[in-house]
Amino acid sequence: MDINLINPLILSFIDILPQIGFQSVERKGLSLVASTLDYDGVLVNISLVGVLKGAILIGMSLDSAKEFASKMMMGMPVTDFDSLAQSAISEMGNMVCANACTQFSKVGIDGLDISPPVLLIGHNGQATLPVPQTIAVQFLVDGIEINVYVGLIEVNG
Amino acid sequence: MSAAKVMIVDDSFFSRTLLAETLQLGGCEVVGEADSFDSLIETYNNCKPDIVTMDIVMPGTDGFECSRALLMNDPSAKIILVSSMKDEETEAEARRIGIAGYVQKPIDGEYLLNIIKNILSPDTLYEELIESAPGIFNEALSQNITRMTKTPVSFESMDTFDDTYVSQGITTVIGIIGRYSGSMILDLSSEAAEQIVEILLHRPSKNHEEVLAMVAELANIIAGVACSMLNKKDKSYSLRVSPPSVFFSSNSEIASPNLKIQASYAQTTFGSIFLGIGFKKGAASWI
Repeated sequence: MDINLINPLILSFIDILPQIGFQSVERKGLSLVASTLDYDGVLVNISLVGVLKGAILIGMSLDSAKEFASKMMMGMPVTDFDSLAQSAISEMGNMVCANACTQFSKVGIDGLDISPPVLLIGHNGQATLPVPQTIAVQFLVDGIEINVYVGLIEVNG
Repeated sequence: MSAAKVMIVDDSFFSRTLLAETLQLGGCEVVGEADSFDSLIETYNNCKPDIVTMDIVMPGTDGFECSRALLMNDPSAKIILVSSMKDEETEAEARRIGIAGYVQKPIDGEYLLNIIKNILSPDTLYEELIESAPGIFNEALSQNITRMTKTPVSFESMDTFDDTYVSQGITTVIGIIGRYSGSMILDLSSEAAEQIVEILLHRPSKNHEEVLAMVAELANIIAGVACSMLNKKDKSYSLRVSPPSVFFSSNSEIASPNLKIQASYAQTTFGSIFLGIGFKKGAASWI
């Protein structure tokens, strides 16, 4: 998988998160990993269809997800990861990935579309993306750690 | 239909006045106006409009940023983006984030009123999809299980999937795009999946990866068959499926907070298979 495919998504995080209540978006690590990865906490799945196909996963621990949702809701306390907090996190995923499609089109990859987010909440889980390799990138967003996995393949023809 | 309540977001006093005039002449009621990001949410929550018109260019912000904030505040907000630019990518992103309509400046009053009418009237094609999709997805699952394993399948419908669903072990998620975008969720226990693999391969599964690969393939076939059946019913659906993401966990919950999932349990010889399907209402004016 072409590691440059991560750039539109990184740009989208940097562009969108400040619009929804976050001050700092830092990119920490970037690595190429296998198609199966472990998760613990919350994972948002958004599928992509077009000249690139696959999925983007956005993961964070349960505590981070609560903190993240609270920040999105202007500091409203979030003690349980309830439906309101779930909705906030999935809306963030939707907006970041929608904008990533726009960023892709700026580098000539047009016509991508995304599916609505599905959330998985669990411990010691495993996710397998439909690609040989996945790009993993870590962000620190106002001190909250977020793991993003991009598993996309180019569809020929 | 009672007069549509419209809120106008535009930094220009002149543009707001012009737009308000057009809307009022067309029988709409202008219930609120905002000229900046700061007054946006408060005005929206106070006037509770049916429709928001949103200028795309504003000092210090833009229509996308304001729309994101509004949709975060109320995911069911119906926003019409107003822009002097007409470019495909702006339209495409607007549609992806859930903006309901798009009009170009200078605004053609009749066109705008039509879009408002379209957004507020029921979308029959969507209603038909919601009505027929669960049955068609169930049929696709039942056909495939029966064909592959020569065992019968019956369905038990689950009334709600409002909150969360606890996975039985292996969850597959397939994204659907097209005129309406959606998700298919298939969930079953590892034991059930292992039994299916054993029937298909005439031997026990070698490893966990083999089991997950079979589940991914099964979900892929079901989603593909069901979407092509729906496309045959009405080709304007133009549904296409993403490859499957597969999740494995001993105790995880699945949630779809912003999309209603219609779910049923397929009762098979191997145990029950959860099948959930949901579609998001599309944007009226892009059609």
